[in-house]
Amino acid sequence: MPIFIPLMCLLGMGVARFRGYARVVPADPAVRDDVPVRLLRWAAGLLSAQRAGWGQAMLGELGHIDGRGRRWRFAAGCAGAALLLAPSGRAAAAVWAMTVAAAGAAGVYAATIVRYRLGAGDWVFAAVVLVLLAGYTLVASVLLRQPGVALPGLLGGLFIALTWLAPAGYTFYDVIASVTPLWAVLVQVIAVPVLVGVAGTLRGGSAAAGRRIARLAAISAGLYIFLYGTIAVAVLGAGGPPGDPNWTVSAIVDDRLGNNAAFYLWFLPLTTAAIGWAAAAATARVHPRLATTVSSTAASLPLMAAGLAAEGSLSPMTPPQQAERPVHVRNWRRTARLALTCAAVAAILILTAAGWLISGR
Amino acid sequence: MQRNRPLSAQAISVLRALAADPARWRYGYDVATEVHLKSGSLYPILVRLADRGLLETSWEPGRGSRPPRHLYRLTLAGREYVAALPAARASGVGRTVPRPHNRWSEA
Repeated sequence: MPIFIPLMCLLGMGVARFRGYARVVPADPAVRDDVPVRLLRWAAGLLSAQRAGWGQAMLGELGHIDGRGRRWRFAAGCAGAALLLAPSGRAAAAVWAMTVAAAGAAGVYAATIVRYRLGAGDWVFAAVVLVLLAGYTLVASVLLRQPGVALPGLLGGLFIALTWLAPAGYTFYDVIASVTPLWAVLVQVIAVPVLVGVAGTLRGGSAAAGRRIARLAAISAGLYIFLYGTIAVAVLGAGGPPGDPNWTVSAIVDDRLGNNAAFYLWFLPLTTAAIGWAAAAATARVHPRLATTVSSTAASLPLMAAGLAAEGSLSPMTPPQQAERPVHVRNWRRTARLALTCAAVAAILILTAAGWLISGR
Repeated sequence: MQRNRPLSAQAISVLRALAADPARWRYGYDVATEVHLKSGSLYPILVRLADRGLLETSWEPGRGSRPPRHLYRLTLAGREYVAALPAARASGVGRTVPRPHNRWSEA
């Protein structure tokens, strides 16, 4: 059951993001708006403000390519390039730091499998862990392209990680089998992500910035604690808190590695990101100054597909004519739906946490 | 002092394709087709070349329902780079070819 909660949260975030995206990018029946265009428009929207012109260049080129296969190949290639374009400056340093943390965690994980001679199934699971680590690093690098996200996001992640490790007293011994009281679970799973989402939105000045900060904080927290937990398993092995006496050393280590991955690479990042994301959106809705702020995502979206009647060129990287930026307006029905969704997610999490505690006693 | 990484063979091939008719503005897709590059490789190369000041870009106005299109051609520095290329590659001094401005770090 707990495994499915992040999945549901992720699905909800995806649906909400798609709906929001559809609102800010008006469809023009005169312009071809097939799946390759949508894919490329989405990927181009992830580029930094300095690189937004290149996203528009890709979209413009796609508008002149005919043939389904050629359009798909061109859009897929450009989308990949847009995703992998590295950020610069402080953000690049942050990406490198996260890459090193992810690579370090993968290395320690693999070394532990080798040391305790775990089975082939563990290597398959290690491959899944590697995919997750690579995916989180990629998402972090995309988030870090936007200005004002790196520092609050990474600090938020550190704050979340410290909160999750606090009940264990920051020791290897207790991080493997810490017993967390219900109030602490609620703080970790709900209060802290909400705090990060609200603070991120207020600092970033928009819901989009707050959501990015919340997601970066969730991902970085997951990476930090996964690295810490994996080192703890590597150091202690089958030692530490006593487990089932019938289990072999390999089984105990295997179980601990699996628990680390499930909690810190799956449950923590996705749940924390979902709640922080919802808190950021809710903050922007209720805050009078932020309620009408233009989303920076919307501002950076390539709008060429919206039907640009071009006359003359403004600059090498600016298309001839920009469509007017859409402005988010207060929509009380959306706000109510968002509040209900947040309440439902919170209720599910509380019930799940209570269920764990009850079943554990 | 910032150092530029040497250009890849693919980037060199893009430069050579553009140098065939340096005054002519080219479309990205045409260049990609000519040098047999996929779009996922072409655009990072174009970004890098533009950041190094070897490439200049412009927009062609859209026609009808077609959107505006990006155009590319070599700058003077780009032409000089290509002109110096065979000798530079043969002697291994490609890294010392003067480059106008390093903006790759802004990527």
